[in-house]
Amino acid sequence: MHILVVEDETRLREQLRDQLRHSGYVVDIAADGEEGLYFGEEYPLDLAIIDIGLPKLSGIELIRQLRSRERHFPILILTARGNWQDKVEGLESGADDYLVKPFRYEELEARLNALLRRASGWSKPVLDCGPISLDTGKQTITVSGNPVELTAFEYRVLEYLMLHAGKVISKAELTDNLYEQDYDRDSNVLEVFVGRLRRKLDPDNSLSPIETLRGRGYRFRLEANAG
Amino acid sequence: MHSLHSRLLLAASLVLAGFLGTTGLALDKAFRVSAEAAMQERLQSYIYALLAAAEEDANGRMIPPTDLPEPRFSKPDSGLYAVINGQDGSSLWQSGSLTGRDLDVTEQQTPGARSFSRLAQAGRQLYALAYGVAWEDYDGAEARYTFTVAEDSAVFAAEVNSFRNTLWHWLGGMALGLLVAQGVILRWGLRPLRSVTNDLQQIEKGHAERLGGQYPKELNGLTSSLNSLIEHSKSVQSRYRNSLDDLAHSLKTPLAILQSSHTNRNGDTDIDLTLVREQVVRMDEIISHQLQRAAVSGRATLAKPVPVARIVERLVRSLDKVYREKQPTVTLELDPSATFTGDEADLTEILGNLLENAYKYCKNAVRVGLQSDTNAAGVEINIEDDGPGIAAEQVESVLQRGARMDQSVPGQGIGLSMANEIITVYGGQLAFAASPLGGTLLRISFHD
Repeated sequence: MHILVVEDETRLREQLRDQLRHSGYVVDIAADGEEGLYFGEEYPLDLAIIDIGLPKLSGIELIRQLRSRERHFPILILTARGNWQDKVEGLESGADDYLVKPFRYEELEARLNALLRRASGWSKPVLDCGPISLDTGKQTITVSGNPVELTAFEYRVLEYLMLHAGKVISKAELTDNLYEQDYDRDSNVLEVFVGRLRRKLDPDNSLSPIETLRGRGYRFRLEANAG
Repeated sequence: MHSLHSRLLLAASLVLAGFLGTTGLALDKAFRVSAEAAMQERLQSYIYALLAAAEEDANGRMIPPTDLPEPRFSKPDSGLYAVINGQDGSSLWQSGSLTGRDLDVTEQQTPGARSFSRLAQAGRQLYALAYGVAWEDYDGAEARYTFTVAEDSAVFAAEVNSFRNTLWHWLGGMALGLLVAQGVILRWGLRPLRSVTNDLQQIEKGHAERLGGQYPKELNGLTSSLNSLIEHSKSVQSRYRNSLDDLAHSLKTPLAILQSSHTNRNGDTDIDLTLVREQVVRMDEIISHQLQRAAVSGRATLAKPVPVARIVERLVRSLDKVYREKQPTVTLELDPSATFTGDEADLTEILGNLLENAYKYCKNAVRVGLQSDTNAAGVEINIEDDGPGIAAEQVESVLQRGARMDQSVPGQGIGLSMANEIITVYGGQLAFAASPLGGTLLRISFHD
């Protein structure tokens, strides 16, 4: 998942970048509205976190311009003042949710997950596909009710595949959403991770939840449970 | 033209000049007309005098006058001339004043007819009156004559000029007098404005608290508005001051806790992260509470009425977005004419806090009702939900005025007590009741 953070306060910006990367997101950072607009227009983003009080181009204006240029990824606004006029203005300009500073990182992550999930068409926080259940809130996995321990990276791979269950995800797309732009994509790390995921989710090879389509990528094979 | 005084003075002077100018012109014209009529009368009377002075010969035929009725007829170049022409246009007689010159009048008048005209002859302007006369002799034969009397217009011009002089002197004098009077009246009339300005300067310098003088009733609206603005800004200022005081005081406690947590009993550095986190949350709550309280503008004098329905709708749209997942069924029964007299940001804050609580705690239904109370000139807003409701002791702690935020109010309390405080600043009321939906009904009422 590719996230853009637009925040003018250096300390907070870098802290967010590190925390989000640690959670397994691909993160770009911008220090002002103009830079944010550049990233928003040029990069394939899944979500943007935008501070309202930005230099050069205000957060509200940035959101308006992104929306007017047909960028529909979810946007979470950060506001320091927390008054309702700011919140309403931000939401009316095209943002999807707001968070008042200061906030706890856990709260931010919960909001991000909800927005990402909603953007992929899942209305509930728990993704259920056959016996596999992924809770985007708690970030836990169960298979037939039994918890499975995943690393942050494995979790992101599975979450991305499950959010797009039934669709073919190319290796390049998956890599883009798991690594920074300048990361060496030549490695076979991805294949290694997918292999490990398969073993953890399906030790006796009875489910085969993740298909490999030669030359095209991967597909999460199990369909979402109804209801 | 930035001074009222000079504006009024200029306008009045222009009107005055126009008025006096037209009056002068009209009088001048009237005088000329009447002077010309008088001239015609005078010339006619000369003709009658000449007729009276004319003699008859033995046959009853006319002999031109010799004993002239007016000495100027005899004096050469006197400016008064007379000519008698016969039936054929030939000159029968000329007055002595015409010695050495000619009065060229040939037009014949029928008996009893007259003609008044201006002539220009030999570089002179003359007014002339010609009068036709029929003279019957003893044999009954009739001879016709035309008597013409002319007077130099210099006399007439002199008369007109002297009238004009007098007229314009008088008008000029009057204009000057009126201007002076006007200036004085304006100064006197605008004096209350100057005194308001002076009084305001006194307030600026800190010598006075309010506009206390006696002002004419046209200024009462202005001065009382100014007074309420001054009072409003004072109350805002004192609210800021109180908030700052409270802020400083209430931050001291968590700061003290944090400071003493640096070192434990053994003197080792040992930071309890849970404690730090708790205190940070508390400080954040204190700061946002106090800042929002200070930001409430309160009922301003010149605030324009804010349409309440529009604000409710905007908030509901925003909250629908945020609570997209929960998707509560929101019923709006809004009177579009209801207005709130005060700051839009304050109303947005009140309704935002209360509506968010409703969205957050409802099971799946929220209802917002809005009525404008025309009798009491106020507005009433009801927000209800089907949630679990608020505990009685919490209601009490919320409604308790001046409940300090450092005695942390959990759950719905923060938004509620914030809203309640703003409502109180506006002299409104927040009441709790059980909603037919099953949860809480909050009733906010404001009276103008």
